[in-house]
Parts: sequence; structure tokens; C-alpha cells
Amino acid sequence: MGKAEYKVEGGKLIKVQLVRKGDRIEKITIMGDFFLYPEELIEELEEALTGHLLNETDLTALVKTLVEKREATLLGASPNDFVKCIMMAGEKDD
Amino acid sequence: MIEKWRLLDTGLHDAFYNMALDEAIAIARSKNFVPNTLRFFRWNPSALSIGYFQSMKEEVDIQACNERDIDYVRRRTGGGAVYHDRDGELTYSLIIKEDHRLASKDFQETYKTLCSGLVLGLRLLGIPAEFKPINDIIVEGKKISGNAQTRGMRVVHQHGTILRTVDPKLMFTLLRVPSEKIRDKMIESVEERVTSINRFLKREASFGELKEALIHGFTRSFKIELLPGETIEFEEQLAAKLKAEKYATKEWNFKR
Repeated sequence: MGKAEYKVEGGKLIKVQLVRKGDRIEKITIMGDFFLYPEELIEELEEALTGHLLNETDLTALVKTLVEKREATLLGASPNDFVKCIMMAGEKDD
Repeated sequence: MIEKWRLLDTGLHDAFYNMALDEAIAIARSKNFVPNTLRFFRWNPSALSIGYFQSMKEEVDIQACNERDIDYVRRRTGGGAVYHDRDGELTYSLIIKEDHRLASKDFQETYKTLCSGLVLGLRLLGIPAEFKPINDIIVEGKKISGNAQTRGMRVVHQHGTILRTVDPKLMFTLLRVPSEKIRDKMIESVEERVTSINRFLKREASFGELKEALIHGFTRSFKIELLPGETIEFEEQLAAKLKAEKYATKEWNFKR
């Protein structure tokens, strides 16, 4: 399992735990002290990310699209920050 | 005519009931059973709360909490882990309709507006408090209050802490840290970054004095009248149910 922490400048801390299978995400948990409303979107986001290729551009598009589609509010972190931390965790799981 | 809100002072309760009652009030407000509400409360036993997105196992030293009879609970709001000392902290909740003049669609804006009541209350106590985005209130650069907000059912729910005393050493005994060496550094850092009412005023401010100042702060800043009231039967029954079925369960507290 790969674990990474990423402190957003002027924002909050993101923690990701991730299991990869080849180039894909097999299991992922996104944690931290950020704010996301609606809160349940985090579970939906983790589900959407599961099975996805560990590709920064694609993942950023996926997270952004989901946040916009649900008209969600993310405070203290951005979709880019989430993906940065996901990529870091992905590199740590070999 | 001046707008009237309910003022609740629910005193000391355990962590699970405290969080359950907050949600029950929000639901009661959404059904128009109760007016907009300011609630003061405290924690007995002392407790740790973690943000919705945090992992209990990652953040909290469960064994250290158990040894000291300290409860641990997941909040319905995001944000970080907070230690709620029975004698050192006052907690408040604001539960208002989403279409209220004080609530904006913008979370950041709403934090600022709702925190203005606390800021004014602290200033009335002689503490030059300021709001610091995202969700903190600081005095001379040091944090004195942390706040967290969520919504749902057309209701805005914000709760937060006001530190009367602060004990970073105890806090980091209860929170998990990467190593003992880092623990000391983290304690030092909190000593530098966090203050409390008693520390700043260099005297003991009572809970009564603090609540009175905050009530003045909220009424003046929000241009409202706060009428002391009670919880209704609906809220109490729902809180008992939410405690048993949600906040006191392993499924909820360890779900991340």
C-alpha cells in the first residue's frame, strides 16, 4: 500500500492511501482535514477513482468533473491537490 | 421587529450525544419545528472529535484515550482533529436556515459572517480577535477558535470551539504522531501557534463570563435577540436515536 501526505499551501492537509495494480488504482482512500460538501461525495469520488489509470491529466479531469457535476464545494484543497497526493501515493506503492 | 433566535445551553454531555444533538437540531430546524438556534455545550468526559474525512485509526491514539476515559467521535463536518477538554473548552453550534440573510452560498463568506459574532464577543472580553480564513479565529497571530460548517436540508450548521485553556502536551498524547521526536516538535509548534482566553487575559475567565460575552457578540453582530429556550421532545428523541444508531457506533467512527 502506498501512503502520501500533501499539505496545500495556505490550505489543508490531504492524506491518500492507495493500492495499485499495474498502472491502475485498485483501492483508494482520501483523507484529511479539508472541507468537502456534500461530504458523501468523497465515497463517490473514491469509487470513481477505483480501477482508473494513474494518469495525472485524466485523474484531474475526473475529479474536476465530478465536483462540478455535483455542484460540490471544496475548501482548503483543489481537485489538482487531490490528484497530486494520489500520484505521490501511487509512486510509493510498488 | 428584531429577529428572535433560540439560545440553548445544553451543559455537559458525552461526545456521541453532543454530535447527535447538533444533527437533531439541524433536522428539527429543517422541518421548521424550532427557530434559528445558538447552542452552547461542553463535553463530559473530555473527548476528541475528528473531521468527517479523517481516519480515526490514523489520527487518534485509541489506547491513550481509553486509558484516560476520553471519548472519540467522528463529526458530520470536515476539518481537523480537536481535543475538547471538559474544563478547558466551550463549544457552540449555530443552526440557521440556508436562505437566512447571514448565510451565503459561498462557504468561505458564511464562515466569516458567522464567526463575526464570536470575534465581537471575544473583543468584548478584551481579546483583539480576528477571523482568519479558512475557518479560524486568531488573536495576535495565534489560534483561539476553530470552526467547521456543513449544510443539508436547506440548513446551515456551523460548530466550533473556543479555547479557555490549552494543553498541547495532553493533545499530542491523545493524537497519533509519527515519532516521539516529532511529538516534542509538534507540541512546541502548537505552543507557538495556539493560545487561549485565560492565557491571553492572564486570568481565569469563567464559562459564565465567556458565554455572556459571546451572547452579546452574537446579538450585536447578527442584529438578533437570543431567547433562552429548551430542546423540544422531537430533538431529544432524535438525538438519542442518532447517538445509538450513528455517533456511538464503530461503523461511523471508524468508517475511514
